[in-house]
Amino acid sequence: MWFFDNKGTPNTTQDLKKKETLLTISILTLAAILSFATRLFSVLRFESVIHEFDPYFNYRTTKFLAENGFYAFHNWFDDRAWYPLGRIIGGTIYPGLMLTSVFIFRFCQLFHIDLDIRNVCVFLAPLFSSLTTLVTYLLTKEIFDKGAGLTAAAFVAIVPGYISRSVAGSYDNEGIAIFCMLLTYYMWIKAVKTGTVKYGAFTAIAYFYMVSSWGGYVFLINLIPLHVLILMITGRFSHRIYVAYSTLYCVGTILSMQISFVGFQPVQSSEHMLALGVFGLCQILAFIDYLKSKLSSVEFDTLLSFAISTVGAILAIGLILLSLSGKVAPWTGRFYALLDPSYAKNHIPIIASVSEHQPTAWSSFFFDLHVLTMLIPAGLYLCFKDPTDAKFFLALYGATAVYFAGVMVRLMLVLAPAACALSGAGLSRLLGRFLTPAPISQRRQKNVATDENKSVVAAGFAALSVIILTTYTMHCTWVTSEAYSSPSIVLSARAHDGSRIIFDDFREAYGWLKSNTPEDARIMSWWDYGYQITAMANRTVLVDNNTWNNTHISRVGQAMASGEEKALEIMRELDVDYVLVIFGGLTGYSSDDINKFLWMVRIGGSTEKGKHIHESDYYSPSGEFRVDKDGAPALLNCLMYKMCYYRFGKVHTEGGKPPGWDRVRGAEIGNKDFELDVLEEAYTTEHWLVRIYKVKDLPNRGSL
Amino acid sequence: MWKLFLFFSILSLANTAENINSDLINKNVQRTIDLNSQLVKITGTITIENSGKQGISKYLIGFERDLQGSVSYIGVQDSQKNPLKTSEVAVIGRGTNELFYQVQLRQSLEPEKTITIIFEVIITKALNPYPHSITQKEKQLVRYFGNHYFYSPYKTQNQKTEVLVSSRSIESYSKLKPVAQTDSIITYGPYSDIAAFSLHPLTVHYENNAPFLTVTRLERTIEISHWGNIALEESIEIKHTGAQLKGPFSRYDYQRETSPNHHSIRSYRTILPALAHSIYYRDMNGNISTSTVKPHKDYIELELKPRFPLFGGWQSSYILGYSIPSFPYLFKKSSGEFVLNIRLLDHVFDDMAVDELETHIVLPVGVSNVKVKAPYEIKRLPDGVAYKYLDNIGRTVIRASKTNLVEQHIQDIEVTYTWKSHTLLHEPILVSIALFLIFVIVIIYVRLDFSIGKPEHSKKE
Repeated sequence: MWFFDNKGTPNTTQDLKKKETLLTISILTLAAILSFATRLFSVLRFESVIHEFDPYFNYRTTKFLAENGFYAFHNWFDDRAWYPLGRIIGGTIYPGLMLTSVFIFRFCQLFHIDLDIRNVCVFLAPLFSSLTTLVTYLLTKEIFDKGAGLTAAAFVAIVPGYISRSVAGSYDNEGIAIFCMLLTYYMWIKAVKTGTVKYGAFTAIAYFYMVSSWGGYVFLINLIPLHVLILMITGRFSHRIYVAYSTLYCVGTILSMQISFVGFQPVQSSEHMLALGVFGLCQILAFIDYLKSKLSSVEFDTLLSFAISTVGAILAIGLILLSLSGKVAPWTGRFYALLDPSYAKNHIPIIASVSEHQPTAWSSFFFDLHVLTMLIPAGLYLCFKDPTDAKFFLALYGATAVYFAGVMVRLMLVLAPAACALSGAGLSRLLGRFLTPAPISQRRQKNVATDENKSVVAAGFAALSVIILTTYTMHCTWVTSEAYSSPSIVLSARAHDGSRIIFDDFREAYGWLKSNTPEDARIMSWWDYGYQITAMANRTVLVDNNTWNNTHISRVGQAMASGEEKALEIMRELDVDYVLVIFGGLTGYSSDDINKFLWMVRIGGSTEKGKHIHESDYYSPSGEFRVDKDGAPALLNCLMYKMCYYRFGKVHTEGGKPPGWDRVRGAEIGNKDFELDVLEEAYTTEHWLVRIYKVKDLPNRGSL
Repeated sequence: MWKLFLFFSILSLANTAENINSDLINKNVQRTIDLNSQLVKITGTITIENSGKQGISKYLIGFERDLQGSVSYIGVQDSQKNPLKTSEVAVIGRGTNELFYQVQLRQSLEPEKTITIIFEVIITKALNPYPHSITQKEKQLVRYFGNHYFYSPYKTQNQKTEVLVSSRSIESYSKLKPVAQTDSIITYGPYSDIAAFSLHPLTVHYENNAPFLTVTRLERTIEISHWGNIALEESIEIKHTGAQLKGPFSRYDYQRETSPNHHSIRSYRTILPALAHSIYYRDMNGNISTSTVKPHKDYIELELKPRFPLFGGWQSSYILGYSIPSFPYLFKKSSGEFVLNIRLLDHVFDDMAVDELETHIVLPVGVSNVKVKAPYEIKRLPDGVAYKYLDNIGRTVIRASKTNLVEQHIQDIEVTYTWKSHTLLHEPILVSIALFLIFVIVIIYVRLDFSIGKPEHSKKE
């Protein structure tokens, strides 16, 4: 309420209320507009284009859905990916994102508002960020008060941790999932507070939307049971919680099973067991309460001890049997990675190779949350100072989110709204404490000196907050503009004279593939580029970013890591027509295939067929990964090396350096003059970023 | 249906079949065959004499069809450069492997008199790369097959032909004496007293590094708004139709290759109207950043660089769009009708060849009485309906197509229609009403109380 009290003395409460409503609406509107606008850097700087890798897949499926309708989409078998296996798209994605955009698209079409489906996709994430701002306000208001809600909304509008995944063009599940998650939380808080079936059902529906849009719903369906469990332990379990949770669990589980990718997981996989267990516990507790009211305490104690021993034993045996028979899904790798950050690195190279699955560095907490890192504890303190059911929930959400954000970089996204809600509460309370003028009755009693002291402190604190908030705003804008608004499909650099150079090589290469290769050509590349090739070049790929088949990826890794002869064998086996590699040696683009090469070796060597590939063979005798003369012979003669550096040995890249100077590795390449036997250069883009090779046909048989 | 159509077309041809009037004599024919670009441009002057007893006002120009390539354009003028009416006709007694155009002379040619006419013919797809495929470093050689004699249904007394080629490196050419070569010009003739329908194959095999770029399909959409703007969008598919690229493409060699006479195509120029603005150049994957706009006094030059250089057999596609103010193109007649004069086809690049053109003209909402006058024969497709921004009534779309076009086909199409100017306010009024209704509904909703009784635990601050 600190906003309104400075505004002079209101005449009546009616008048004050009107002003309050106006102010609330205008602040919220501004925050929503700001959260939309701040995400448009990339559109203004480049163009309305889809970013990165996964969004291209989502864009392609959305286009398919818009053109062919829901049933075709649901039954879609995609033969453009995972050649020769294909992929059942309808059954292996969360369709919420696509359905949402197609719904908006159709709705606009209804009024003949000419919107391109691509523009709907590009601007969907900013749109949902605006909605997230509103729902954050509602959630925080429900847990604390209006002032906290408004502060939280203002925080969440520009928090970099969330912007990182929701800039215009970043058309990914997370873009709408955060909104769904907060909506579910809001409904849950409502349900907990009122204890009505109505809000329980609303929670279930919001949860259904969440399940349909992101795999991260697992976090949600563990957090809410955890909340219930904590409430039980702290003795706050009541009929309100019982009604809310039972409704949510029954309706929500049935709804979530309608998503074909989720299927029977909610009742089988271990990730959902907490929810089921807590549901059972709810029933037992409620039953016990009922018995308690009917029985005397002695009878009750006997019954309880008997029940616990028998039921416990039966449950334990049942669980063991189910696990052994495989009915309960085995613990999956990603789940272990959440609990033990080093698990994936040691066991599953394909999970470890994704940079967003890496543990978070401390600096990135500050980078993504800035001042919020300091305000979270204040918010947590408030949660415990005057605890309610709802505040417990927020505290729990904050604490778990901090943990998960520490495990995986990309889960920073889940923490960001929690941090905003907690910080909003903290800051709002602090400001309210300092800036509220003391009631006149109290003022009279105290002497003038302390009063003046107080106002000085208050002014000082206000100034400090203004400075902190200003730096927060500036930091957020800077981070958004510098770090999170690059489409990564178009690169730009500064020339010596300060002008901007655009590297549009990716689209150049995909355009070339689309126009000048046979319709059914099969392209081999590292899996990172699979989605982009199918979406932009419309050609068949062997592996893509949906890394569901490790052996297939491993086979591609083996081809890249082998010498030409062995690679040809693998490529013939896989029916490869073209091979595509990303090479940054000329421009200094560092996330190219040579830098990813060790992952190809590791993943290639991780399966039965790739046993002959050993990571150690690719290191120089001194144990380094280097591409110059001292590099390992296995590296200098493997297919990937040859494709990247074919004819590069003659190119002068930097003044004062010998020809064949690799600007990323900062070395002169070690193997310069070689010819390709099994491949021929089909196309290389203007800045050599993408190189495409054609697998040569078998030579004609000589005359007999 | 198709058979019926064929039947009628044969019938109509039979109706207009012409006789060859052997009284006419080509007294003198001067031909220039320009082989500098990807097109074959034949220009010539013919002096015609009437050796009969009666005045003649029709003259026939013939082509042997088994020549590769196809006639895209023919234009005939008299000696004062006034265009003469020309139409394709069938000729009695000649097979289907010949093509005849009838020229309507301005006045009938009296006996013993002569007249001079000038003709221009553009033939596409007549230059064949030979060898068919070349490597990146080789030069592009093409062959032209023609006729040493002017192919005519009349006797020719005297004729001379000059062949202009684009470079001095001529591999070979047919030598029907007298023939002479100086630099890049081959002169055949003079030949005298050649009978009608004489054929003697002429071949020239030479180096031609001009861009062999064909627009395989061009879809041009013209959208008229009576608010004062015309939006144009061209969706273009291009293909390099020269010698196929054999073997690998090497970026290294390509970057070292600096000679402008390379058979690959790096970029080309498109000319837009001087008033064009809001120009965009993109393809399916987004904006193509490699283009420059150079405004000149009476046109805008656009240098377009495709995403990748085009080699023989490679293709690409893009969308080019811009807006122009409507005042130079849209007029109101005194009778209240509106007249639109706009190019049916516009410039894509110099010496262009367009295989297939489809033009869509989107007229404003609520037009009636649409009349179309084309500059040359076009195929009208059934009219369509388009819904643009906030339209609840569709807009009429005129659709027309034509195949095999060249620069000479850049001419205006005239569309006349009636339109009431108050329909301009149709959509703004509609939007205002919709917004008004929303506000009214909100006002009513806020003031209504639907609850039956007070809720049990009504929250108070």
